[in-house]
Amino acid sequence: MPGLTSESDVLAMVPVSPESEKQPLVNYPLRHGLKSAIHRLSFSWACGNTLRVSVFRKPPSEKADGDGEAGGTVVEVKLSNSGDEEVDAARWRRMAYTSVTPFALLQSRKHSLSAASRMSLDIPPYKAEWWEHVIEYSKEISSLLTDRKPPPKSIIEDPKSVVNAIAAPMCLKAAWELLEIFYVDKQSQSWIPERLLDWLADYNSLFSGTLPTIHSKLVDFQQELVGVQVVEEDPNYWDAMSSALAVGWLETVVKLLRLHGSYRFDQLSSRETENGLVEAVAVLISKMPRMRPSLREDNLGECYQTKPDFMKAWEKWRTQISKLDCSSYWLQCDHRQTREGLKNLIQILLGNPTVLSNATFNWMELFISHFLYIRPFTAGLESMHNSAQKCMQVKPVSISHKLFGLILGILGENTEVVLAECSRSFGPWMMVHAVELLTAGSTHAEILLHEEHSKLGGVSIEELHRLIYAQVLSSHALTWQIAPIYLTSCIKQGIGLLENLLYKQPVQHSQILLKSIEICRLYELDTINSNIMRIAGVHHWKHGRKGSGVFWLQQARDEFRLNRIAKQLFDFVGKSVSDEGFKQWEGLIELLGSESRTAGGLEFLNKYRDFRRSLLQVHGATPTDAARNAAEALVSLMKNPSTPQRFWLPLLYDSLKLLMWQERPLVNVSQTQFLLNKLQELSMARLRPDFVEADLPSDALSSVRLALATNLGRAILEE
Amino acid sequence: MDNAIIKLDEGTTCTAWNYSGHRLAAGSTDGTLSIFCSTDPASSVFNCSSKFKVRESSIVKVVWAPPEYGDVVACICADGSLLLWEEVVEDSELLQWKLCKCFDRISSQVLDVQFGVSQTSLKLVAAYSDGQVKVFELLDPFDLKNWQLQAEFQNVIESVSKFGNVSCRSASIAWNPLKGEIQQSSFVLGFDSDTPHLNSSKVWEFDQDHQRWLPVAELALPADKADPVSTVAWAPNIGRPYELIAVATCKEIALWHVGSNPDSDGRLSVEKVAMLSTHDSEVWQMEWDMSGMTLATTGSDGVVHLWQCNLYGVWHEQAILEPTS
Repeated sequence: MPGLTSESDVLAMVPVSPESEKQPLVNYPLRHGLKSAIHRLSFSWACGNTLRVSVFRKPPSEKADGDGEAGGTVVEVKLSNSGDEEVDAARWRRMAYTSVTPFALLQSRKHSLSAASRMSLDIPPYKAEWWEHVIEYSKEISSLLTDRKPPPKSIIEDPKSVVNAIAAPMCLKAAWELLEIFYVDKQSQSWIPERLLDWLADYNSLFSGTLPTIHSKLVDFQQELVGVQVVEEDPNYWDAMSSALAVGWLETVVKLLRLHGSYRFDQLSSRETENGLVEAVAVLISKMPRMRPSLREDNLGECYQTKPDFMKAWEKWRTQISKLDCSSYWLQCDHRQTREGLKNLIQILLGNPTVLSNATFNWMELFISHFLYIRPFTAGLESMHNSAQKCMQVKPVSISHKLFGLILGILGENTEVVLAECSRSFGPWMMVHAVELLTAGSTHAEILLHEEHSKLGGVSIEELHRLIYAQVLSSHALTWQIAPIYLTSCIKQGIGLLENLLYKQPVQHSQILLKSIEICRLYELDTINSNIMRIAGVHHWKHGRKGSGVFWLQQARDEFRLNRIAKQLFDFVGKSVSDEGFKQWEGLIELLGSESRTAGGLEFLNKYRDFRRSLLQVHGATPTDAARNAAEALVSLMKNPSTPQRFWLPLLYDSLKLLMWQERPLVNVSQTQFLLNKLQELSMARLRPDFVEADLPSDALSSVRLALATNLGRAILEE
Repeated sequence: MDNAIIKLDEGTTCTAWNYSGHRLAAGSTDGTLSIFCSTDPASSVFNCSSKFKVRESSIVKVVWAPPEYGDVVACICADGSLLLWEEVVEDSELLQWKLCKCFDRISSQVLDVQFGVSQTSLKLVAAYSDGQVKVFELLDPFDLKNWQLQAEFQNVIESVSKFGNVSCRSASIAWNPLKGEIQQSSFVLGFDSDTPHLNSSKVWEFDQDHQRWLPVAELALPADKADPVSTVAWAPNIGRPYELIAVATCKEIALWHVGSNPDSDGRLSVEKVAMLSTHDSEVWQMEWDMSGMTLATTGSDGVVHLWQCNLYGVWHEQAILEPTS
């Protein structure tokens, strides 16, 4: 279960590193709304990690009249939510639901591959296949993190639109992509700097809330641009371009350059050279060599796939820039701002550290600019990490953004930090799903995440996160059903938690009952399945729905309770035939059936029901056949060894009219003798101390004896 | 994240949620018990569905019976009695709450009561103010009127002599929450009494062969055995090789690992793994979450504390929930 973090008021998880012990204790308000002083609290855990706290106010003094305020209140506290304040509850649930399929598919692929490769995914053919699966999984999860579609592009493109108004990105997606870049996408390993550049272009706006960024600067400038007549005289124009260039947003810079006044037709003749210089810079920018397989739509530059080609092109391109820098045409450019602005852009292209530092606003932007212009051939995490450290010294952060912590953890190859950052900043959903990327991409991470911890009862960190996430899912009535997917992927403790979760479902609601049974059947949880059905059966029985009660108890194979019910049904035996409850009673016998193995009394009840039915059909005017059937049923019932002795007399007493049938005797000599023997046996049994007298008139026995004697006489005469 | 879901009546003294968290029973000073229900399992809207007087005495504690036995609550009243009420339809009447059993106060009052489930029967352990512990057994699951006294003993592990004239302030019982056929019924019990031997928490297990309850572990270090115990909580076990039990005394909250295999004397191995500081406040209630990984506690300091263990086995306070108006 989760722990609170001070930053986001979100319960995250069990801390990974020992330092987290020093995490400050989170003081969490419990808004109860009572005006009076609080007397006492009591609480109870609900499903998942929901805590319900009862807040009792001080009881009012006896003399004072009630002040009308409630005696207390119950506050429900969800100790974990999405893990990220940017995701609302409904969106989070959608995310939780859509990520189930990719996760489950990956788990099943992992199992089948492990089985095929005999437990090791490191063998080459399986490894390659596994990589493909992980990449597919990563892309799918990543795509579900953007559910807002970008607005349609307008047909007439606004020439003054510098910053595209795309859908607001999420930190969660930004974090996911970082993990994908560094852990999963092995094909892009050689061009990680370019991927980081794309990443910053997509997510720079995320930092705008807490830090000054190039994105926010461009947004400001775009608003200003609408009212500006002569852009090249506006210093912000040149600043915006140098900033955009520093982080490689080449298309933005070229677009802005083309807004330069010297391009206007009325200016061409007088500002030819100036325009030529502007265009020369624009061309150089758009021809910048990029070490990547392809460019994204609308992006500028020339792609090179291999390092030697790229190096060669880079040298050539740099020479061209230097040449332009030393060109004599600058002397012919009269417009001071243009000359200085363009020279500044050239300094950026030449990798002047001071100019780059001035053009960027935070270390991350500076870091990217270093890749582009100072160390274009950087490779390996170590050198990237060193570079990041240097950039942080130049631009120290006062407020650290949660994505920064993650990037530094990744570059520092510190899995513990990456895990801690993921868990603290992005919550249990991220942890569970990102673990797959980490274990696939780093051996160290795999060992760390799969190691079993005896202090935690033998679970690994991977399993721990799944358990935590499943608990978060369990906290809500709309998401508990997907928790089993994650729990059944836990080897050690998942089933135990799943059983607890299923046991806590309100199974008196039929939909929940059916869902729970479905889950139990799927994962072969027979004991808990029976238990759930037993709870439902008892609930229905006690709430007057006897039929449903019996049905569910039968499904639960709860012979013990069914026997008890059968015993209750015995109470009907010997009661007046016209009893209103006979129909219900008859129905229950029908439901109980005779298949029960241990419910020995049920066979008797079934036979008794048949007898009772035929007896009901016998009236004064009934044909003798019907009466004969009833008499046969009586004899058969009395012959049956399962008929309890205590019912012998009530049965015979009920059948008096059969024994004294007017027309002719219904019971033959041998049958009558058998019944007389039974009566004799009963008389003997009455002498025993444990005999229970039937609730019958005192003369019942003598009337039965007399009826049998008369019947015997008549039967002898008949034969 | 916090949301007020139920307004309690004036004079409410205690509350208890049923197994699924969809019904709340609230007892009050005038002996009235109110039942709140949510009709839709997905909603957090609760309405009072029933209200009835269980006794002309303040209700001190309410405990729900396991759902396998229906909707049943046990109420401990200030006059020392223990009453069982059940929601049931009888003889084609409407659904209503009925008194099914009253354990009247005879010589001592009931301090705590807890239900435990075994495969065939429901058990009820009650701890009394004279230091006696009684285990009752329900034989017919549909007849909550008939309870059989299965055992009666004192919470001592070694002494054979009985302690007379005992006076207990409080007691706390917690059953082993694991429900399984193989698992033996067991519970842990501690007292706050004037008799040192009774106080320390002991784990009691039912010996099926000899049909008796045996103490199998004592959860106190030799120097702390006389410390009065205010409350105990047995963690759900979803796969740990050991049991985890929290015991709160006047000094601290101690967490114990209890092994599962008895030694030749029939005793289970115990290890005190953590001492959580209560900062001199008295602990009144402790409860484990459904995974047994987080312990919540509350007491005289008027806040809820959440405790967790990190990967290195170190227990620490993660958060507190503090009431604010």
